[in-house]
Amino acid sequence: MEAIKYYVKGAFQGVKATPEVLEQQEELIADLTAKVADLVAQGKSEDEALGMAIASMGDLSTLVSEFEPAEESPARVPTAAVFSTRLDLHVITVSAGVGAAVMLGSTVIGAWSALIRPGAGFSLLAVLAVAVWWIRSAYLRHRESPDVVEVRELVYKARFRNAIAVWAGVSLIATLLNIASGTDFWCWPIWVAGGTWALTVKVEKWFAERAKFLAPEPELPERP
Amino acid sequence: MNETPISSDLIRGHIDTIVLGLLSAQDRYGYDICKQVTLLSDDEYELKEPTLYSAARRLEGQGLIRSYWGEESQGGRRKYYAITAEGRKAYQRNLEDWKRARRLIDRLVSGDAEKEQ
Repeated sequence: MEAIKYYVKGAFQGVKATPEVLEQQEELIADLTAKVADLVAQGKSEDEALGMAIASMGDLSTLVSEFEPAEESPARVPTAAVFSTRLDLHVITVSAGVGAAVMLGSTVIGAWSALIRPGAGFSLLAVLAVAVWWIRSAYLRHRESPDVVEVRELVYKARFRNAIAVWAGVSLIATLLNIASGTDFWCWPIWVAGGTWALTVKVEKWFAERAKFLAPEPELPERP
Repeated sequence: MNETPISSDLIRGHIDTIVLGLLSAQDRYGYDICKQVTLLSDDEYELKEPTLYSAARRLEGQGLIRSYWGEESQGGRRKYYAITAEGRKAYQRNLEDWKRARRLIDRLVSGDAEKEQ
């Protein structure tokens, strides 16, 4: 009954999304669903029942006007409907691949420059296993539901900035701990892993602009 | 069934009492209340859901009914309404008021002034 949700959410546009409003929407959705089920039980087709139920609601504006309006309509965030599992699989594969390659490269350089002790191989193995697991879980999600459509906000600038900030913070802490503990140079996989995470944002931006991942926008009162 | 549907203006002022009356028998969710109104009225009057929700919010604000979330159904959780002790008192009061008003209005609109003579 996606159509009912679209209808109700649409009616409450421009209203501040307080818990009270969300509850009113939830109540409306449940009641409308019960009404549609009743009409279907009386022999109406699903589409017919949906139309009748929504028409008999009449005007929602009086009810909606009882709630506090949103203070100011926030700047509209650009969104796009994407095949989310397909997109995620590509993003994760590329990011984890790049991250793993960087790690492999650093290990080789490190071993060559004698910066990294042989024991680092184990931590590298663990990190690579995580990368493989990450890609594999994305693949399984994609295989299970290849056509899931999700509307994503295209706000990569802010996300990337946050990711870089987190990466810098985590790297700094790891480095300080590394220096303080006076042990081997073990913090570099954390640098790379954090950087890989930030990289996913850029990769997703790049992929999200490719038509291959764009899904048709969901329409409002269309069939569920 | 009547040819012309009952003017909803005549009923609107009594929606609170109607809702309280339906809830005094048992707890109900929104659509159920609307359905009962249609049944009771023999399809002559339809209580629209938005009107009901507004009334329910008002009654809950006055402490005459309370609400709680019921079991998960196909469309999500249902919100049930229950009458409070305060609500039962208000219902009895409204009912008495209505009966008195009905007798009075019956006399007034009949235009029958025999008693005066």
